[in-house]
Amino acid sequence: MSHRWGMAVDLDRCTGCEACVTACRAENNVPTVGPEQAARGRAINWIRVERYYEGEFPDVRVKFRPVLCQHCDAAPCEPVCPTYASHHTEEGLNAQVYNRCIGTRYCANACPYNVRFFDFANPVWDKPLHLQLNPDVSVREVGVMEKCTFCVQRINEGKTRAKAEGREVKDGEIKPACAQACPTTAIVFGDLNDPESEVSRLSRSPRGSKLLEDLGTKPKITYLR
Amino acid sequence: MKAVYALYADPDSAQLAVDSLRREGVAERSITVISSEPFEEYEFSRRDKPTWIFWLATAGGAVGLILAYLLASTTQRLWPLVTGGMPIVAMWPNLIIMFELTMLGAIIMTVITLLITARLPTTRSKLYDPEVSSGKILVGVENAPDDSIEKLKQTLRATGGEVNAG
Amino acid sequence: MNLEKKNKINDDLLRPVLHTSPWFYVILLVLGGIIVAGLGSWMYQMSHGLVVAGIKWPVYWAFYITNFVFWIGISHAGTLISAILRLVNATWRRPVTRCAEVITVFALMIGAMFPIIHLGRPWLAFYLMPYPSERGIWPNFRSPLVWDFFAISTYLTGSTLFLFLPTIPDFALMRDRTTGLRQRIYGMLSLGWQGTTKQWHRLESAMQIMAIAIVPVAVSVHTIVSFDFSMSPVPMWHSTVFGPYFVAGAIFSGIAALIVAMAVLRKVLHLEEYLHPVHFHNLGKLLLTMSLLWGYFTFVERLTVWYGNAPAEMAVFWETQTGSYAPLFWTMVFCNFVIPLPLLGIRRLRTITGTVIASSLIVVGMWLERFLIIVPSLAMKNLPYSWGFYRPQPVEIMITIATFAAMAFLYLLFSKFVPIISIWELKVGAHPRPVLTPQEEEEAQELWRVRP
Repeated sequence: MSHRWGMAVDLDRCTGCEACVTACRAENNVPTVGPEQAARGRAINWIRVERYYEGEFPDVRVKFRPVLCQHCDAAPCEPVCPTYASHHTEEGLNAQVYNRCIGTRYCANACPYNVRFFDFANPVWDKPLHLQLNPDVSVREVGVMEKCTFCVQRINEGKTRAKAEGREVKDGEIKPACAQACPTTAIVFGDLNDPESEVSRLSRSPRGSKLLEDLGTKPKITYLR
Repeated sequence: MKAVYALYADPDSAQLAVDSLRREGVAERSITVISSEPFEEYEFSRRDKPTWIFWLATAGGAVGLILAYLLASTTQRLWPLVTGGMPIVAMWPNLIIMFELTMLGAIIMTVITLLITARLPTTRSKLYDPEVSSGKILVGVENAPDDSIEKLKQTLRATGGEVNAG
Repeated sequence: MNLEKKNKINDDLLRPVLHTSPWFYVILLVLGGIIVAGLGSWMYQMSHGLVVAGIKWPVYWAFYITNFVFWIGISHAGTLISAILRLVNATWRRPVTRCAEVITVFALMIGAMFPIIHLGRPWLAFYLMPYPSERGIWPNFRSPLVWDFFAISTYLTGSTLFLFLPTIPDFALMRDRTTGLRQRIYGMLSLGWQGTTKQWHRLESAMQIMAIAIVPVAVSVHTIVSFDFSMSPVPMWHSTVFGPYFVAGAIFSGIAALIVAMAVLRKVLHLEEYLHPVHFHNLGKLLLTMSLLWGYFTFVERLTVWYGNAPAEMAVFWETQTGSYAPLFWTMVFCNFVIPLPLLGIRRLRTITGTVIASSLIVVGMWLERFLIIVPSLAMKNLPYSWGFYRPQPVEIMITIATFAAMAFLYLLFSKFVPIISIWELKVGAHPRPVLTPQEEEEAQELWRVRP
């Protein structure tokens, strides 16, 4: 069966703890740029939790929204890449091919969600931090774009394991780092082609909506109010 | 066979010289007029066949169009990567590539045609006098048969030219 | 025109080529120093990465792309003056054509550098070239950046040829006036040109076609540059007016640059007899038209945004009108519209000085316009959490200044080796136009689908 990977994020359950952000950094070798560069706007967060405050003290309400690559079906970042570094896979992922990227940054401009990040400098992991790098994920060099891949290394591993065991991928078997780390299971990942999967069920929820849907990007992440 | 020519100070006397050479029976093809600027108002400038350059430029454009279409659509089909939900062979963006290469084809064809028909660049020795760049007009006969040289010199001198033989 | 006058033209216009004053070397040295500093900045940036530049999340395009659009815009000077005026038989274009065409070629070369300078991995810029590589993959023809590559290559090829072809007879003239190595070089460049009537005929026909072909190419080039912006769903970028807006702005800035260049040449090379106030007068009128056109496009675009009241676009709109970008915005309006309009519109003020002042302001204003199109929109996209603020860094400023120096440097060098006013075209312009009978007119049309 062909897969179509998608995600549902329950905003009601999200506490804004940012465990997803931390887990993603660890899993995907996301570089840490340091406080000075972060102050200059070079921080890389494949997933970030946006905070919006409503009202005045003491009636303040805070809304948390984890924003990551939406893997849009009509992604505006894909046609503008001159070297096909950004393209759509058959399983619905927006793939970023680092060695084709020459760093024009057009994809980042075109992305309405601002989820694409540029490596301004060669990432550095001082010893012994280099031991924590995930060997399944490439380390990007200076000048390329990077973004959330739905932990494609985990997807591939899950599919390979299922095939080796001669079965289909079970729902919930493949979890990206953010979904795995979330303490309230606000982030649910799965196969949208399987109508019985958790993510398909949540996508059909009346609480569900897509982010910036009216731009026509056809994002695959459903946010549940 | 040598060339006989004379230099004239203004286009009117050059025109008279050309006319008198014609009356002498010199073939149209053999009469050469060289100047440092074009004199389109004068008849001696209008003795050429009509030019094919417009059609050749159009042909160059057509070649560019076809090449662009083949380049874009073939390479898109060779690596069918989906981008932004657009079709693999996307006609609207390809039209832009096709337009640019059409114009490039027309331009390059024009330049090639110019170089070939004006016989540029040429290194074989040909009829020329550096006085031409001072504004004088050279009227002469290339490849004049030896026995007619004196007669041609007289004709040219009669119309007021400084005669030289090249 | 008698021989004496013709020789005077030769002498006057060849003097800058044949005689060099010591100031030439001084200015060249100064400009060269600035260019070296710019190159050094670029090398520094390449070795350290774009971390030394001011770009950041989410403003990923700033100074370099501003410069790119600006210089490609300046390159539209040559086309308008040379090609369009040639096609409409405006004889006052003759002393001005080569000045303009030179601006085009050099501005294009400089502009085309910037897509490479701004790349994250510039050593891989060749990935954009469509050739059967060992990587097996071709460029993405759906990307406006690949359209840029094709458009700019075509325009550069076309403009260089457009500049070179009518220079061939002048190279022949210089071949006759120089000796030694210079004569050999000019001889090669003149391709053995004699000046037979057939050669003139062919050259004029070729120039006619080139003029017809280069105009749509120029329009397409800046339209395609505008597509770099309008093809993405960024607030205030995704506008259908961008194509004509950019072309009008390009022609606008191009004419301004041309006026400045002509004024400098006139002063420095003592060309007062050839570049008359009437040339500045006429170019000034064109500049006025373009200023009105620019004002029209800006108004139309902004009115549409304001009336439509889309939240994402209105955020950007107010930020440029009254927010942090307002000083730049209103400076731009002043430089492009408010001050040039009286300077160019009132006949008494449309002197050489007046047009040069207006043009200099317009060059500044148009640079600001490119900046204000790019940066505010990127700084304030759809999700407010990701809004940012851009500040240029010394590297970017140095490279920007170096490109202006490079333009002056290349222009200076060119005017040293090639007469900056087209000598043979100037002489043709003085020919009396004969009165032909209708029969003769028709005969002339048949052989010559070309006008002088």
